[in-house]
Amino acid sequence: MLKKIIRSNEFVIFLILVFLSLAIGLVNPAFFSISTLFDTLRASIVFLIMAYGLLPIIIAGGIDISFVAIAAVTSYATHMFLIGRGYQGSILLYYTIACVLGVLMGLLNGVLVTRFKLQVFDVSLAAFTMWYGFNLFFVGATANYEIPQSAVGYYNQFIIRTRDPFVGETGLHVSILYVIVIGLVIAWLLKYTTIGRGVFAIGGNREVALRSGFNITRITLITFAVMGLLSAVAGVTQAFLSRNFNPVIFITQPLDVLAAIILGGAAITGGSGSILGTTLGVLVIQLINRALILTGIPVEWQRFVVGLILILFTSIPALRAMRARRVGHTTELVEGE
Amino acid sequence: MSADTNTPSTPKNSGQPGRRFRIEGQTILLLTVLIVLVIFFGSLQNKFLTSRSITSMGFQLPEIGLLTLAMMITILTGGINLSVNATSNLAAVVAGLFLVKVMPPDLAPGAVNLYLVAALAIALIVGIVNGIINGFMIGYIGVPPILATLATMTFFTGISTGLTGGATVTGFPEGLSIVGGKDLFKIPIPFIIFVALTAATYLLLNHTTFGFKTRMLGSNPIASNFSGINNKSITMKVYMFSGLLSSVTGILIMSRTMSAAYEYGTTTYVLLTILIAVLAGVIPGFGSVIDIFFAVLILQVLSTGSTMLLAGIRGSSFFKDFAWGVLLIIIFIINYFIRIRKQQE
Repeated sequence: MLKKIIRSNEFVIFLILVFLSLAIGLVNPAFFSISTLFDTLRASIVFLIMAYGLLPIIIAGGIDISFVAIAAVTSYATHMFLIGRGYQGSILLYYTIACVLGVLMGLLNGVLVTRFKLQVFDVSLAAFTMWYGFNLFFVGATANYEIPQSAVGYYNQFIIRTRDPFVGETGLHVSILYVIVIGLVIAWLLKYTTIGRGVFAIGGNREVALRSGFNITRITLITFAVMGLLSAVAGVTQAFLSRNFNPVIFITQPLDVLAAIILGGAAITGGSGSILGTTLGVLVIQLINRALILTGIPVEWQRFVVGLILILFTSIPALRAMRARRVGHTTELVEGE
Repeated sequence: MSADTNTPSTPKNSGQPGRRFRIEGQTILLLTVLIVLVIFFGSLQNKFLTSRSITSMGFQLPEIGLLTLAMMITILTGGINLSVNATSNLAAVVAGLFLVKVMPPDLAPGAVNLYLVAALAIALIVGIVNGIINGFMIGYIGVPPILATLATMTFFTGISTGLTGGATVTGFPEGLSIVGGKDLFKIPIPFIIFVALTAATYLLLNHTTFGFKTRMLGSNPIASNFSGINNKSITMKVYMFSGLLSSVTGILIMSRTMSAAYEYGTTTYVLLTILIAVLAGVIPGFGSVIDIFFAVLILQVLSTGSTMLLAGIRGSSFFKDFAWGVLLIIIFIINYFIRIRKQQE
C-alpha cells in the first residue's frame, strides 16, 4: 500500500510541491505564513475550478482550450446584460445566467465533436477564437468596474480571518468551498458512476468502449456540458474576486491550465488522470508563478527561473517513466506483489 | 492532436493514393474559399483589390506564415511547438543586442554590413539552439511535446525578458530594414523569403527521405521505430528546423519594426499558427505545405477585408477573430460531408 503511494505520480508532484515550498521558505522565511497560504489558495481558486472542468475531457482523450473563452464570454456578457438593466441584486443571478450560457456553449463544442466526428482540439481552437472575437466585437472591448450593490462586499467574504503583520487583515475566501465541493463531485463522478467509467474507457480505448456498450455520444456531451458549466463558475468567481469584468480574461492562460493537469499525472493521450493530481499540479504552477517574488530574484529574470523550473519538473516524470520502461516488467512482478 | 479513429484516410488503402486524393481535395476546398472571399471583399470594397492593399498584405503575411510552417512540421511528427513565437523573439533580441551593444559605433558602411550579416547568423544560431533544447527534451528525455515546449516557451521568453530588462531594443543600422521593409520588382522581400522557404519546406517534406521519415514518425511512431528509423534523431532535426524557421520570422519582425522585444505576439500568435495548421488540415503524418500557404492567404484576406469593411465601427479589428472561428467550423463541416460522400463511393 505504502509502496503504491510512493510510486504514484501524485506523490512525485506532492514532493515537488514540498521541495519548492521549502526552497522558497529557506530564502525568505516570510513565505511560511498563513497569509501566503491564503494568497496562493485565492489565486488558485479559479484555475482549480477550470481544471476540474477540463479534466474529464482530457481523460476521455480530448484536448480543449476553449474553456477560457467560455469563462470570459459567460461572465462578461452576463455582466453587461445585467448592468445595462440597472441590476443591483445578488450574485446568484450572475451564476445562474452564466451557468446556463456556459452549458450551452460547452454543448455546442460537444455537438460539433460528436455529430461531425471532429477532433476535440480543432473544435476548441475554433471556439476559442470565435468566442473571444464575439465578446470583443459584439459585447464590448473594455473592462468594466461596476459591481452590483449587493455583491460589492463579496470579494472579502472570508470563512477564516487572520491578521498579518505585513499585509494587514486577510483571510480564506469563501469560494474555496466551491472548489472543495466541485472537486469532490467530479472525483465521485469519475470514480463511482457509469459516466465516469465511460470517460476513462473512451480515453483508454475508444473502440473497446464502444463495443462494451458505452454511449460515447452521451458521455462526450456530458463532459462538455460540465466543462462549460465550471468555466462559467470560474469566470464569474474571478470577476467578483478581482472586482472587474474583462472581455479577454484568461486569454493567455489555457495552456497553463492544461500543463497543470498534465503535470498532475493526466496522460495527454487520455485514459488516466485524477482530481488529486490536478489539484497538486495547479498548486505547483501557482506557487512557481507567485511565490518567486519572495525569493528576491530580480523581476526581469523571474520568468527565466519559472521556465527553468518548468523544464526541470516536466523532465522528472518523463525520466522516471523512461527508467521504468528500461527496467521492464520483471521488477513489476517482484515488487508489485 | 492525436490521430484518432476519424482521421480521413483509412489505414486499409495503404497510404499513397488515398492520401494524395485527400490533399488535393483539401487544396481545392481552400482555393475555393480563398477565391470566394477575394470576390466578396473585392466587390464590396473597391479599396481591397488595389496594389497598395495587396502590398501591405504581402508584408504582413510572411511572419505568421513562417511561424505556421515552424509549427506545422512539428505537428506532422505528432508533436507541437508552442515555443515558436518565443524563439523568434529571443533570436531577434539576441541579434538586436549584438548590434546595439557589441557593434562599435562610427564604422565604415562595409564593416556595418559585415556586422549585420553576423547578427543575422547569430539569430539563426539562436533558433537552432532553441530547437536542440526542444528536440532533446522531447526526443531523448520523452517529455510530452506540449509540456516541453510550454516550459521552453516560458524559458526563452524569460531569457529575452532578462537580457532586455523588459525594454524594447532599438537603434539598429539602417541597412537592416532591407530584409523586412523593402521590395524587389514591387514584390515585398519578406514575401519572397516566405515563398522561397515554403518551397524549400515542400521539397524537404515531399522529396527527401527525411521528409518521408518525418511523416512516418507522425503517422505511427512504433512502426517507424521498427522499420529502422531513428525516431529520436528525426525528432531532433524536426525541432531544429522548426527553431530555424522561427528565427527567420524573428529577423523579419525585427527588420520590419526596426526593434526587438520579448513580448511581440505572445500566446495568441502561437494559437493562431495552430489555427492555420488546423485549417490546412494538418494532422500527424499528413499535411501539405501548399495547403498551409493557402490557409495563410485565407486568414490574411479575411482579416484585411473585414477590417476594411467594418472600418469606423467600434472594435472592428476584433471581428476577424470571430470570423476565423466561424470559418473554421464551416470548413470542418464541409470536410465532414466530403468524407462521408467519399466513403459512400
